Amino acid sequence: MREKSGNRLGFRTVAPLLWALVGASPAIAQEMTTSLVDIHQGSPLSDRARGLGNGGYELQNGTFVSFNQWYRASWVDMHVDLLTQITEDTGILWGFGTGEEGEKYRIAPSLKLGFLTQMHPSPNSTLSLSFTTTFGGKLTEKSCEADYGDFGTYSVNCRLAASQMAPEETLKYLVNAKPESQHLWLNYRVTF
Amino acid sequence: MSGTCMKFGLAAALVILSAPFASAQDALDADQMAALCHGGGSICVSATIPAAPATQTVQNWMSPDVGAAWAAGYKGKGVTITMVDDFSSTSRFSGNFGLGVQTQRHGEWTREEASMVAPLATIRSKDFTTGSYVPLASGLNVLNLSYGMYAKAGYSSNQIGWAPEEASIISYAARGLAVVSKAAGNDSVAVGGVTGGQQDYLDLALVGKASAIFVGALSTNGTTSNKAQLAWYSNYAGSNTAVQSHFLVVGVTGDKTGLYGTSFAAPIISGYAAIIGSKFTSATPTQITNDLLNTARTDTLVNYNPSVYGKGEASLSRALAPVAIR
Repeated sequence: MREKSGNRLGFRTVAPLLWALVGASPAIAQEMTTSLVDIHQGSPLSDRARGLGNGGYELQNGTFVSFNQWYRASWVDMHVDLLTQITEDTGILWGFGTGEEGEKYRIAPSLKLGFLTQMHPSPNSTLSLSFTTTFGGKLTEKSCEADYGDFGTYSVNCRLAASQMAPEETLKYLVNAKPESQHLWLNYRVTF
Repeated sequence: MSGTCMKFGLAAALVILSAPFASAQDALDADQMAALCHGGGSICVSATIPAAPATQTVQNWMSPDVGAAWAAGYKGKGVTITMVDDFSSTSRFSGNFGLGVQTQRHGEWTREEASMVAPLATIRSKDFTTGSYVPLASGLNVLNLSYGMYAKAGYSSNQIGWAPEEASIISYAARGLAVVSKAAGNDSVAVGGVTGGQQDYLDLALVGKASAIFVGALSTNGTTSNKAQLAWYSNYAGSNTAVQSHFLVVGVTGDKTGLYGTSFAAPIISGYAAIIGSKFTSATPTQITNDLLNTARTDTLVNYNPSVYGKGEASLSRALAPVAIR
């Protein structure tokens, strides 16, 4: 359902799981129970930001500049997913992401909203459908100020400042990425 | 100009007409011999000759810097390199820049080399036997001089009655209107030094000019772990600080190409200048010259000494890098 990232820092404390909740009693549903579905740190965009920190280059005097210093964060984007059950077979999925920020990038906070519904084609099977959409959570890379001596000072893409590319051209390659904004999930389960 | 100088100028002019004064810097073949490309005396016109199709593969004779720089996709676009060289004589020799063995004139070789280092630069060919004025293109200009102007030693360069060709080149270097990449020479003497009773007056005329660079040859591309040394034939900077401050060296790996000589060092600097010019599109030739000179490395050379290596080994990667970033 959710793409896992390789080097995610966070803990994944999964409280009452989705399926446990979907199987809850009507009485509980009528009380509009809200349950924690998932909590974790990191995301594909977090990983991408971290990936920007690979590499470096030498300045004119030979001093090595590592990208790592610019693309690390003291707090990694945390996502909390919740489900509020409305009826026995439907619920609202919602949640949020805290976002994260490094010296040269920012992942904005995000809000997730969606629904979950299920039906039972047979006594021992369940067909469920969920849809979520995410607002915010965009990864924005920031620029650097590069001093090229006699050539002047330019606003540049930090990672491409030493490349052959014209300083102003490097800005085209700043990363601006949106998270997976919509997620449709269909599941059929048979118990035997 | 004194009477003596005028005579010298006339003599030079006669020499140009009968047996060209301009001499391509000897391209030493694999046997480390062969004086090449002495004009031929044919009547030539200055023309833009289409460059041979250039591969965009990083060749093993190139500095690794070139491949790293190309990765960003900018390869000299918008810059014009004018090769002032021999494009008309009957003298041809063989080599291989990685495109297969070819037999070409001196100018065809240097042109091919420059076009391989800066494949998106516009390459113009100016036959040096014409002696005619060298026009500049719009945008940034780089002039490649893989030849010298030899005459009897003992004069000063301002006593020479220069042909319009060299007069225009010297003027451009003095006024900072073009990056002038000049092969240092293959006589194992200091730039402008006497060899066989003769001196390269084009070297002398370019000393102290704002956008001139003398280019010597190393036998390999240097690294900090495998330092390079001056090729045995290459002229060196010498004790004149005005030369030292405008002298660079680059690897000329003749063992890989079969082509030796500072003639094949100058086009590398021409290509580097074009690449830098394609990055800093509003930079002046003098700024690009200074950038190359100021970012040269000394830690890749055996027993670095400015009287030998001048400013050091040209480093394209450092020339493209910022001084500081935040």
